[in-house]
Amino acid sequence: MNNQNAVLAKDNDGMPVLKFLAEAIKPKGTFFTPFNMISLPIMVLGFVIIVIRFIKGIGAVTNLTQEVPWGLWIGFDVVTGVAFAGGAYVITFMVYILNMKKYHSIVRVTVLNGFLAYVFYAGALLLDLGRPWNVINPIIGNSFGVSSILFLVAWHFLLYMIAMLIEFSPTIAEWIGNQRARKILSGMTLAAVIFGITLSTLHQSGLGALYLMASEKIHPLWYSEFIPILFFVSSIFAGLSMVIFEGSISQKVFDSQISEKNHRSHDGILHGLSKICTVTLFIYFFLQVLTFVHGKHWDLLNSPMGYWYLTEMIGFVLLPMGLFFYSYRKQNIFLIKLAALITMIGVIINRLNVTVVGFRWDAAVHYFPSWMEIVVTLTVLFVEIWIFRWIVTRLPVLRDSPSWVKKQSSKL
Amino acid sequence: MNINRRNFLSVLGLTGVSLYTGEKLVAAQKIGNETEFYGVLYDSTRCVGCQGCESVCAEEHGLPEPAPDDVPVSGAVRKANENRRTVINVYNTSKGEVYVKNQCLHCNQPACDSACLTRAMSKTKEGPVIWNGEKCMGCRYCMVSCPFDVPKFEYHSSNPKIVKCNMCYDRVIEGKLPACVEACPAEALTFGTRRELIAEAHRRIINDPGLYYNKIYGESEAGGTGFLYLSPVPFEELGFNTTVQNRPYPELTKGFLYSVPSIFVLWPAVLLGIHKSVKNNNLEEEEYE
Amino acid sequence: MDGFTYINIFDTKGIEYLVIIGFLLLLIPFWRSLNKPLTVRAKVMSTLGVLTSNILKVPQGLFYSRNHTWTFLEKSGVASVGLDDLLLHITGQVHVNNLKVPGDKVRKGERIAEIAQNGGHLLIKSPISGEIQGVNKSLREGVGALNDDPYGGGWIYKIKPEKWTEETNSYFLANEATLWFKTELLRFKDFIAMSLNKYSPETAMVILQEGGELADNPLSGMPAEVWHDFQEHFLDKVS
Repeated sequence: MNNQNAVLAKDNDGMPVLKFLAEAIKPKGTFFTPFNMISLPIMVLGFVIIVIRFIKGIGAVTNLTQEVPWGLWIGFDVVTGVAFAGGAYVITFMVYILNMKKYHSIVRVTVLNGFLAYVFYAGALLLDLGRPWNVINPIIGNSFGVSSILFLVAWHFLLYMIAMLIEFSPTIAEWIGNQRARKILSGMTLAAVIFGITLSTLHQSGLGALYLMASEKIHPLWYSEFIPILFFVSSIFAGLSMVIFEGSISQKVFDSQISEKNHRSHDGILHGLSKICTVTLFIYFFLQVLTFVHGKHWDLLNSPMGYWYLTEMIGFVLLPMGLFFYSYRKQNIFLIKLAALITMIGVIINRLNVTVVGFRWDAAVHYFPSWMEIVVTLTVLFVEIWIFRWIVTRLPVLRDSPSWVKKQSSKL
Repeated sequence: MNINRRNFLSVLGLTGVSLYTGEKLVAAQKIGNETEFYGVLYDSTRCVGCQGCESVCAEEHGLPEPAPDDVPVSGAVRKANENRRTVINVYNTSKGEVYVKNQCLHCNQPACDSACLTRAMSKTKEGPVIWNGEKCMGCRYCMVSCPFDVPKFEYHSSNPKIVKCNMCYDRVIEGKLPACVEACPAEALTFGTRRELIAEAHRRIINDPGLYYNKIYGESEAGGTGFLYLSPVPFEELGFNTTVQNRPYPELTKGFLYSVPSIFVLWPAVLLGIHKSVKNNNLEEEEYE
Repeated sequence: MDGFTYINIFDTKGIEYLVIIGFLLLLIPFWRSLNKPLTVRAKVMSTLGVLTSNILKVPQGLFYSRNHTWTFLEKSGVASVGLDDLLLHITGQVHVNNLKVPGDKVRKGERIAEIAQNGGHLLIKSPISGEIQGVNKSLREGVGALNDDPYGGGWIYKIKPEKWTEETNSYFLANEATLWFKTELLRFKDFIAMSLNKYSPETAMVILQEGGELADNPLSGMPAEVWHDFQEHFLDKVS
């Protein structure tokens, strides 16, 4: 029992460790699915582009300029992706802090999703760094740029990934069948959750605060000193919409993984989330109105950018709010999913407006991402989905925990 | 360089060995406490647009030699880039053609410095804002934050550098003039402490109010800059960014950064409190649903 | 800079306060209409937790059949037959339509009455075989006695049993019955969740959350299909 490997092997139905790993790597299910057929060539192409990027420099594959140094890879992969990963902190808050047991069945998949999102968006960040070998500097070096928002965000990414890994680790312990480890790790969950929520509050808003110093470069309708607050509030409904969206797909794709009981409760979960989305969108809208009034940019409304701003506010904040409201009252699950989709598009538009569309809006030549930037973005997304699928089909994420877990928790 | 020297001085200060180094210590402390930055005053009424500063700058910093046919033409704005740290432009103004030199302004409280998460971009005690390649990770946040779009990035290199004027920092700490100042044949560039330069600029405006537009660009822009400009015409006509705020740019992130410690203290406490009270009340999911 | 120009830096504050007041005023109707009880749920929530096994009356000495009828052999040798409290709590107020008249012979498991409420109706099966001797006429006039006093004034038939011992030996008595009602209630919760899922998926998710308690009369107001299913799952078993 002193030998950790022996314990592992023994607990896992007596399967030797090597055999267990071999089993884990073996692919499951059919290979020739439409999704695989579309994603594989894109991923191969994406990896080629990434190699080119590291040999010839960032300029070889992107349309970035000296005036627009941050493009799609930051604006979409990092800023938007992290907003969508916000579901993890909202759901853990609801389940572990507010003790809303109803949502317990989606905690694991949401945390896993959030964790992978952070890992891959931080990975996308590496692609965008000109000198990625120095990325460790702000973490270990003697060069703490503590006055930098990016320093804060970088640390928070790192710490939050660790916190989410701890939140998720009991699942891994269940998978390899180590009872003792599971007991210890699940004891750390609450601490990790509280730490994680605090970190999320700060870095969700911090991503907005990154742009605070670019005060003259961002269109005044999108720039305000309230960007951090707006980013934080919108990350709540962005994350929850992602949970609704991702959950609806998982229900179909991973049908066999999900127990009858969780299948039944899923509509109820979506219904509950739709209410939270309604309220946060309502509040977000008024925050936007306040920001707008504070900025005194009435005249700007009557310009192309102003129309675009109104489109965002009415079409992608008010409309999904109304739709969430209606579908919550009518308990219409389809409309809830539709509203979630519109909200997600709205969040993408909002983040891109701040980071790409509104950034240097007055320049003669506008930045538009190159096809290679888009392919790399898709590659990051697809790799994440592949890994997600790999984990879900093996670990007890969607399916119920092994039977010994119940015994263990009841003993506690 | 900067760090080495400072380390050296602090080692001296810490060990404080003996009396005979006393004189040096006093000198060191004087430099250490000095907040007076060096700067450069550029007087566009004197500049003749010879581009001598451009070629000595390229020579000094190992950049490609400027092409001979690359001359300032009014109506076309030449920009500094990864191959040239400074450029001369010419503008057709109400008072005829006026030349303007463009390079890093070396702000007193630079946005790029506060934006840098590795302290690769840093404001030195002497005034120049310099870049350290060993620390930089190439995130380009300095470029996003700089209100003057000064830092340039080598997009077509696998080992890219941030390129910008460093006011010839190596020369300055050796007591020499920046290369461009030394090379300027028309004495359009003057090197000195910022305070002296502002006094000198004011003196020039007062002595010849007809020649100068009554403003020193850089005196208050972005909280004050190391490079100061005098012009015969309003600065808008010379393509200057006059919408730049007068407060230092790092102040924009101050509020956010100040709130971080409070949130770290308050949030966990509040969350724990909620967790505890919810647990005690045995609140079930129905409450929020 | 040359002097100051007058700028009222707070000139939008007034509008901002108005926006905030507008927000607060809008928040009230918004919150209220968002939280108005959802139709089906309203019923469940309004009397949350009312229907638990604790409130069920389970008098001693009666025989309870699995078809939710009870029977009691009086000293005269005639047995009264009625509906148990759980069934009546589940359905709420119902009308009883007698299908039999005194003198009729019934067999155990034969349909002897129909209870109806709005769209739904249920058929009641006899717990024993024998000859009907009396019918409770008070049930025709009002429905009160049935729900108020199901084991007393709420009796439906008096039957002269033919094979009393043989037919009642599998029925529940006293404490046994209390336990059975408990499990039956749980079974009902599962049933209603599933059945609703089948017929109106939108309402299913709200009527029953995990661990949620049932309202009194949960079947009342449900679609006729659910009543039909209930009949199948709870009343048609013979034992």
